[in-house]
Amino acid sequence: MGASIDVRDLARAAAAGDQHGWDGLVERFGELVWSTTRAYGLNPGEGANAAQTTWLLLAEQLGHLEDQHERLGVWLAATARRESLRLLGAARVATAAPNSPPATEPAAGAQGREALLWRVVRELPEHCRRLLRVLLTVPPPSHEEVSAALDLPAAGIAAARAACLQDFRHRMSNFSIRTEPEGS
Amino acid sequence: MSPDIDKTPDLLGPEDEGLLQELRAAARHLDPPPDSVLEAARASLTWRTIDAELAALEFDSAVDLAATAVRGSEGPRLLTFAAPGLNIEVEVSPIGPRRQLVGQLVPAQEARIDVRHAGGVTTVRADQLGRFGADAISAGPVSLRCHLGDAPSSPPVVTEWIPL
Repeated sequence: MGASIDVRDLARAAAAGDQHGWDGLVERFGELVWSTTRAYGLNPGEGANAAQTTWLLLAEQLGHLEDQHERLGVWLAATARRESLRLLGAARVATAAPNSPPATEPAAGAQGREALLWRVVRELPEHCRRLLRVLLTVPPPSHEEVSAALDLPAAGIAAARAACLQDFRHRMSNFSIRTEPEGS
Repeated sequence: MSPDIDKTPDLLGPEDEGLLQELRAAARHLDPPPDSVLEAARASLTWRTIDAELAALEFDSAVDLAATAVRGSEGPRLLTFAAPGLNIEVEVSPIGPRRQLVGQLVPAQEARIDVRHAGGVTTVRADQLGRFGADAISAGPVSLRCHLGDAPSSPPVVTEWIPL
């Protein structure tokens, strides 16, 4: 409960033009907005575009959103989703190449266990990849925020998460078996 | 270190919690929001217009016609924004990394229009027939702020931001 009161205070301050309040909102939700754009497979440039649009929309509309100040994470996640889909739609029309998933290579040079974990995440079926990408946000998003980011019913998120982590573990164990001989 | 108690029951066991924490650390290292994105987010507050009338995006051919788009169609992108008493129609054509806008105010009227974009603010005039145009607009989020000639004392009409 404490967190939601903080967000409301930050939102009220930001709506009155207070930069510190606004910076607090960016700190709290910056990763959520970014994760949402990445969940939809936008590349870093498109993701930056969608994220910036989302924050500009909030800046313009914050004063009109008083009834949603407590749930700004939900508003931001839903807006980041909408803007991500808009960019995907615009790109599809521009290139006439439907459903070509943009590359989302992580930082080159990533090594070791983290790189392996990330590779397995990216091999998951799309619905799991999306769900995990949003869930891996810091601070962890509420179910309502995940629901808004992915347009999923909030009630089903815990079960979907359990199934996707199960799938992840299964793939990790397969991966370990495949790579085992190297260690001998 | 007790976790926040959520109102919704959570089925997360300690094993899943540990795995999620590990994956969260990987996400932080391998796909964090770039500093430039967070910097732009912090700078967004300075773009707001106090007491503006908001014009909502009502139509975007890139989205609303995407399902039926003819493959390879090269026509301009069409946008319609609507505020009480005013519609703003805009055609957007890409010219390399820049965008060319051709627009129409409905009902027709003179206005001063600030085109706000990543490259700054480009101010143009709508003529008596409500027509306006702007060249060399940077790709990225764009918003129009219209000071209407018929009502110079009333608040400006500001469109939603949209990435172009």
